[in-house]
Amino acid sequence: MRTSVLKGLALASAGLLATACTGTSTPGGDEGDGDAQSIRWLIEEPEDAAALKSLEQHVATFEKDSGIEVKITTLPFDTMRTVLQTQLRSGEGPDVFNWGSGPSFGGALARNGLIYDLTDAYEENGWEIYDFAKEEVTVDGKVYGVPGELETIGLFYNKEIFDELGLQAPESLEDLDAVSQELKSADIIPMSVGDKDAWPGGHLLSMTLSSAIGSDGMEQLFSGDKSWDSPEVVAALELWQDYNEQEYLPESPTSVAYETMETMFYTGKAAMIPTGSWLVGEMDDNADFEVGYIPFPGPDGPGIFAGGLGSGPFISAGTSKTDAALEFVDFLASPEHGEWTVENFHTIPPQPIDTQGLDVSPLLAQVLEDTAQISDGGDFGYNIDVKVSDAVNEAMYDGVQGVLTGQRTPEQVAEDLQAAAQE
Amino acid sequence: MTTAAPQTPVPPAPGPARGQGRPTQAGSSAVTRKAQARLGMLLVTPLMVLTAVFLVFPMANAAYYVFVDFNGIDPSPPWIGLSNFTELAQDPDVWAAFKNNVIWIVVGTTAPLVVGLAFALLVWTVHRGSRWYRLAFFFPYVLPQVAVGVVWGWIYEPSRGWLNRALEFVGLGSFTRGWLGDPDTALYAVLGTAVWTAAAFVFIIVLSALRNVDADLMDAARLDGTNSFQRLVYVIIPQIMPVFLMVTTITLLGGFSVFDIIFVMTGGGPAGATDVLGTYAYSSAFQLNRISYGTTLALIITVLAIPFAVMMNRLQRRLSLQGMGA
Repeated sequence: MRTSVLKGLALASAGLLATACTGTSTPGGDEGDGDAQSIRWLIEEPEDAAALKSLEQHVATFEKDSGIEVKITTLPFDTMRTVLQTQLRSGEGPDVFNWGSGPSFGGALARNGLIYDLTDAYEENGWEIYDFAKEEVTVDGKVYGVPGELETIGLFYNKEIFDELGLQAPESLEDLDAVSQELKSADIIPMSVGDKDAWPGGHLLSMTLSSAIGSDGMEQLFSGDKSWDSPEVVAALELWQDYNEQEYLPESPTSVAYETMETMFYTGKAAMIPTGSWLVGEMDDNADFEVGYIPFPGPDGPGIFAGGLGSGPFISAGTSKTDAALEFVDFLASPEHGEWTVENFHTIPPQPIDTQGLDVSPLLAQVLEDTAQISDGGDFGYNIDVKVSDAVNEAMYDGVQGVLTGQRTPEQVAEDLQAAAQE
Repeated sequence: MTTAAPQTPVPPAPGPARGQGRPTQAGSSAVTRKAQARLGMLLVTPLMVLTAVFLVFPMANAAYYVFVDFNGIDPSPPWIGLSNFTELAQDPDVWAAFKNNVIWIVVGTTAPLVVGLAFALLVWTVHRGSRWYRLAFFFPYVLPQVAVGVVWGWIYEPSRGWLNRALEFVGLGSFTRGWLGDPDTALYAVLGTAVWTAAAFVFIIVLSALRNVDADLMDAARLDGTNSFQRLVYVIIPQIMPVFLMVTTITLLGGFSVFDIIFVMTGGGPAGATDVLGTYAYSSAFQLNRISYGTTLALIITVLAIPFAVMMNRLQRRLSLQGMGA
């Protein structure tokens, strides 16, 4: 008896392994209240409970004005990535959901008919969104979403340490090398880089490559006109390999988690941190020194900011509450909501914002100013991971880790990227 | 009301056929058996329904997915026959992950058994405070694996982690490294954490079995002049063998299906250095949206695990039939 039970358990547990990936169940769901004045909004889990509470209070003003109840549900990003498609396909998904605005996120859903077409809604509501941001949510001439907040990627630096050592913000790779040597001599880690989570590696490549080949070169890579195993991509990867060997990065950067990398910068152990503008709020809260923010330097000049769009609202094609969902998205696309996000979440909305009278830190004000210049025609690189397929992302994440650990050469990684791009 | 039975046999009177009239003893048994059968069916129905919904149907579903190319979105994925299997056989990452699985199965099974048995034997011989020892040694097993992974991630952290600090403190600073970020140490660092929790499980089960070891046999062995090692090999282990095989089976199968602790601590990185078939199946299915390929990998894990499960259970049954065990 005991043997049979054990065998049964063993077989059952082994069998469950095979069923784990099929994803036949549908978590979440609309709970079927059928109330046209009640919609469900699915968002990525905020950083903390206070942020969620603040958002709920903000949405409550919409609920009061419109009479539409908004049920906010949250999921961790990775879980959302796993279940969102299944939920939308089953018709049991959220009415409105926030998701990545780029072609490999919202674009993939739009191409499969899972998102409501907002082209007419743009005209009817007069939503003023930056053109370059709107392009990121356009597929086959149809606009399917409202772009999320803008995110730039560049190099933050500790002005206090730079002033103490008499250093200037680097304006070329040569400058960056000299500055890093000085910092290393002063027993300070030049750049806080942590790639344990793998995704920061995508940002490292994005910023060095954007500054090296500009937006035109990046677009050629995405369109396939330029090969991913070109010398420029190899050189961009070699740069990080070299910085690691020169000990400009913390010891074993692939062991360092993103939070630890932040801490190294906040505590002054590291003088620079290559990351994105989403960290501005935390910088304001945690750094007790003045922070500067510059594009990652290029081979021959100051370089350009790389950037992309964060998560923005989409309407499910399967919703039966289109009118209520549209009214809510109209609220989320409004300049008032944009200003609220600037002040409360320290993010950069995808539309022109009058910062006069807004309560923002000098660092955020600078970031907003930089963004406005970009939207006025300045060159702007790309955050690769929102522009390419999952296969290229996987090759990039593994590849940068491989370069930093010596498991792979930059040439091998570039070849892997090209192979993934051709899949 | 019943009448008394006749004293002498009389021919049966014409009347209802046997079993159709007043219930006889045999008729009563049949009714009871039917009622028992109905009750049995009623009792197993919930389990059968759950098994059908959560095991049989998903298994059948999985069997379908391995022959198509499902990306998680397309409701009508194209039929691709055995392509998933041929790709899998030629995928170097699968073989690297399989190699890690083999390491995990060997080390992750052997080490907890040895450590768990050793601690169980130690605590078995201790009388004062044994309850606290049991609690302390079993504690790692009841902790959520995610929490264990996060905390050990801090311990292994290169600059602030306790492990590197301890090494520096005892003058072994040259051994410090980024344990989870170094491809040469990452898998073994995660394994170390897993062994810590699995040994706790082995410890408590083996300790329970040791409570049933025949004291007379132990005394007899002592009188015969055996040393501790001989008593362990010839007296103790044979008596706890069925239990020992049970924990071996569970730990061994865990080596095939390992996922959570690796996913939490390294996510399979750096650059796939700690990927096992389970994490590779996950990343294929849910990060690359190659649901069918991930399902094929999961099916392979199942196929690899079943023979071991059957073999270990046969061995355990054979020992039970031979009368071994505490």
